[in-house]
Amino acid sequence: MQHWLTPSKLNRLALGVLAVVATLFVAACSPEHPQSTFDYGGPVARDQGDLFILIFWISVPVFIIVEGAIIYAAIRYRRRDDKIPKQIHGNTKLEITWTVLPAIVIAAIAVPTIIGIWEQQRGAPTDRGDVLDVEAIGHRWWFEFRYPNQEVVTANEMHVPVGRPVNVALASQDVIHSFWVPKLAGKIDMVPLNDNLLWFIAEEPGIYDGQCAEFCGIAHAHMRFRVIAHAEEDFQNWVAGMRTPPETFEPGSPEQQGQTLFATHCKTCHSDDSWRQDAYSLEIQQQDSRWATWLNDIENSRIVSAPNMTHYSQRNFLGAGIKENSRENLIKWINDPNDIKIGTSMQAHAAVYQERADNKINLSQQEVENIADYLLALKPGDISQMVAPVITGDTPEERGEQLFVSIGCNACHNIESEDTIVGPSLVGIADRAGTRTSLSADDYMRQSINDPAAFIVDGFTNSMVVPKIPASQVDDLIAYISTLK
Amino acid sequence: MHTTHPGVSGEPTSLRLPRIFPRPTSEYGIWSWISTVDHKRIGTLYAVTSFLWFLVGGIEALIMRLQLSQADNTLIDPELFNQLFTMHGTTMVFLVVMPLSAAFFNWLVPLQIGARDVAFPRLNALSYWIFLFGSLFLNFSWFVGDAPNGGWFGYAPNSHVAFNPTHGMTYWVIGLNILGIASIAAGLNFIVTILNMRAPGMTLTKMPVFTWMTFVTSVLIVLALPVLTVALIQLQVDRLYGTHFYDPAAGGDPVLWQHVFWLFGHPEVYILILPAMGIVSEILPVFSRKPLFGYTFLVFAGVAIGFMGWFVWSHHMFTVGLGPAANSAFAISTMAIAIPTGIKIFNWIGTMWGGSIRFSTAMLFAISFIAMFTIGGLSGVMHASVPTDAQQQDTYFVVAHFHYVLFGGAIMAIFGGIYFWWPKATGYMLSEKLGVTNWALMLIGFNLQFAPQHWLGLDGMPRRVFTYAENMGWENTNMYASAGGFLMAFGVLFFLINVFYSARKRVPAGDDPWDGRTLEWSISSPPPHYNFEKIPNVEHRDDWWFTKHPELIAEYYHDEHAGELKAPSGAQFDDDDMAEDEHAETHADDHHGEDDHGHGDIHLPDMSYYPFILAVGLTIIGAGLMTWIPVIIVGVVLLVWGLIGWSMEPVNDPAPEGEAHGH
Repeated sequence: MQHWLTPSKLNRLALGVLAVVATLFVAACSPEHPQSTFDYGGPVARDQGDLFILIFWISVPVFIIVEGAIIYAAIRYRRRDDKIPKQIHGNTKLEITWTVLPAIVIAAIAVPTIIGIWEQQRGAPTDRGDVLDVEAIGHRWWFEFRYPNQEVVTANEMHVPVGRPVNVALASQDVIHSFWVPKLAGKIDMVPLNDNLLWFIAEEPGIYDGQCAEFCGIAHAHMRFRVIAHAEEDFQNWVAGMRTPPETFEPGSPEQQGQTLFATHCKTCHSDDSWRQDAYSLEIQQQDSRWATWLNDIENSRIVSAPNMTHYSQRNFLGAGIKENSRENLIKWINDPNDIKIGTSMQAHAAVYQERADNKINLSQQEVENIADYLLALKPGDISQMVAPVITGDTPEERGEQLFVSIGCNACHNIESEDTIVGPSLVGIADRAGTRTSLSADDYMRQSINDPAAFIVDGFTNSMVVPKIPASQVDDLIAYISTLK
Repeated sequence: MHTTHPGVSGEPTSLRLPRIFPRPTSEYGIWSWISTVDHKRIGTLYAVTSFLWFLVGGIEALIMRLQLSQADNTLIDPELFNQLFTMHGTTMVFLVVMPLSAAFFNWLVPLQIGARDVAFPRLNALSYWIFLFGSLFLNFSWFVGDAPNGGWFGYAPNSHVAFNPTHGMTYWVIGLNILGIASIAAGLNFIVTILNMRAPGMTLTKMPVFTWMTFVTSVLIVLALPVLTVALIQLQVDRLYGTHFYDPAAGGDPVLWQHVFWLFGHPEVYILILPAMGIVSEILPVFSRKPLFGYTFLVFAGVAIGFMGWFVWSHHMFTVGLGPAANSAFAISTMAIAIPTGIKIFNWIGTMWGGSIRFSTAMLFAISFIAMFTIGGLSGVMHASVPTDAQQQDTYFVVAHFHYVLFGGAIMAIFGGIYFWWPKATGYMLSEKLGVTNWALMLIGFNLQFAPQHWLGLDGMPRRVFTYAENMGWENTNMYASAGGFLMAFGVLFFLINVFYSARKRVPAGDDPWDGRTLEWSISSPPPHYNFEKIPNVEHRDDWWFTKHPELIAEYYHDEHAGELKAPSGAQFDDDDMAEDEHAETHADDHHGEDDHGHGDIHLPDMSYYPFILAVGLTIIGAGLMTWIPVIIVGVVLLVWGLIGWSMEPVNDPAPEGEAHGH
């Protein structure tokens, strides 16, 4: 019993362990790793990966020293005779040494950590090119992407230009999701009521795999997305395409029949024409009201938040990035989404599925194929037909002026004279803004837009509707308002 | 039990409630277990129950590993997978590691401090029964097909009724609240026991490290579990009565849930690991035949870990968006915990260094604990660094990390503890041959399962996914991990074989099979009902060792004072800095002294049904909350009956001849 585990047996054990490690190493070299955190696609992922490597190499000697000391002590001091070893109580100097040394190692890791935190969490750098603003909204179980300055809405595939910083504003209405494209940047959560910011730069054109990283319910594993990085020109073409109507379909063609079916059964939740001029703000409102409708009657609602289908044929994948977007897969998906992705809200709520006891689609096979053909024909038509967005200005002041009108601020705020319409006149606001509270003029105006109740001007009551616009457009508004004399 | 109990000192019998049951007196059979207040029997109940849950949690894990062994596997559906990982986590934390540690607390603390029972024996029984019923309540959900499915962390609003309409998370919330009562009661009990019931002479600095870690853990339990209780009650009323604490649609903040949950959850991590550290600190010196290296540093490091554990909770939330200032602060506080942890690891190695090491199964498990826990510690520092954590959070890297800490750490140490104290508890030995096989399979299987998961996480595989696509490059690695899982299961199987085999063979252990160092080895195996015939007088750390080897005392103390170039002060080898403590203990001495004159005078608390009745009542209240409100009334009646009966029942009935035990 005493020496059951002899040194020779220990040797054989060690060899066995090494063999296992070697096999694992081979396993680690299989071909594709679309979500590897070491295949850097941009500076954020690179900084994060490099810091990992640094800590890893600091850990290696610690690992070797500790594990080596354990093995050495075990072998060197194995029991050979019945003598009782010296009853050492401790060694204060030694113990202080191994308190201080780790503290120094920790400090060496803490410094680059803190630098990295501030670097990565302060928003996109403005000195590395024109920043693109995108809003990403997590839904159970798909991603919505909004481009407020381009007035483009899409889903599950985010298009970005190569080499430009992308500022992603992260939000969620339902549960917590997490936005993670390992090759571009570590994840940040999408938390209801707590908007977050993440930035990245994609250095090379290509498709980057992303996936929701916070457990969000039954289809969490199937909540994936892609970031598609284009050369600047291709990106601009994509944006223009997203604002261009598709060709019209010949009456009686499968596509045209599919369009009619889509309009009847799908369009309440899936917008398919967000190239229209006012479509952007409309889609935002519609998503909000779809959400509210669902929340009002969770069990029986026939309406849920759903991905925008504008120019659907351009998508590479369906079902939130889980299957190739082929006609065959699309037909399968329309017939019985659960077969591909268990738990889809569409099947659980849409009338066209709920009408049947087995929750498969209540349409003929021909009708399903027509819908698929229609969706796969949705692509930008003649680019010269492109519909300009509502906001087109080149300078912040110009965009702010257009926003002021399109949001409808002018309905209540006088910008011509100091007379009151409903709210306070904004003439000369730049001079007054800085004196109202302890905030600077810009911050005061930002607060008044985002949280009108925070400070109410004497003689007024607060009845202002908070505009649903991204931070960059708030900045544009402030720039414009500041010019009002 | 050293105080004078009202019942003992001739309390008027007319005050007692009429008894429906006679005072239980069975020494054998099921009623003897139901009414027991003996810390050793309760320890055994804890151990057996939680080991069964360990097997259940393990089977849950194996099903998940089967599902993940291949890409796009359809063995189980996502709903079942979500239930499995929720229950696996909940089971392993609340029904396995915590109560298994409690089994050790129960068995060992009184034996190590030279006491005859815990401070509140009936409260101790209550803890166990509540734990048992709470665990059954939680797992009952499997049989109604509604097991909890929102993760062991129950993040709002995913755990909110709107997004989680089945009853699973309600079982979880109420089940955990029931279990929390058991933990808090046990925590209070051990704090009082350790502070008040040490044998004369056992100052805090002479206390065995396992008892020290039990003390720190108990303090953490008493402070941390109420935090969880508050959060759970809020979630419960959210789910059952439509309040909006964590409902963002009505303005509730889901991040608040995370703060509260992890404010409990991180100290909880130390609740899970500190007892394991205590176990290892007992095993290493015995099989190295050397005192623990740097006792004082080691104890203070344990206390420091327990204290610092309160300032790191937000490292579970680095990706939530708390802002760079908060993230920086929590990164630093988290990294700082590596310092006391490092002290512990180095001191354990220092204990082995220069020793005479015997590779018993217990020792092999203890050494593996240090080796595996170190790996878990290093990966812990990696995700203490917020930028790298952004890539690791919610991936298999984290899964690997905490399994290295909780399996490679806590479970390895607990297995070591089982092999170490089994002879003491049962009186016979476990087979070392089967034991080493058990250890080797578990260690290899464990590493085969979890080492590759580091790579999986770095390769972008998120946690809590029921499947993954073919082309992700994760298939082989997952296959290895699954194979490792089954190898581990084989290891556990060998443990079970060992238990049955050794129970048949019954190789007598003797009182002190390992040449032990602490007081539990000075009494017979298994210990008598009353533990110590005569309460020992403690003079040294490792008192039993130095009783056996008085010639080593000088060497030990000489070494202790070596740095100060001061000779030992004669026969009385007291730590100078402990003079005050010593003084206090002298009074305790006087107090203790009297009733230690031998077997005949030992009085132990009588058995009682009331803890069991109270626990049943409490569980029925939980069931009523879930089903039909009037059921609660039945529970309340039982609970009140249990409470009143308990308070009116004297600890000891007067002896039949009318002769009181006490003084």
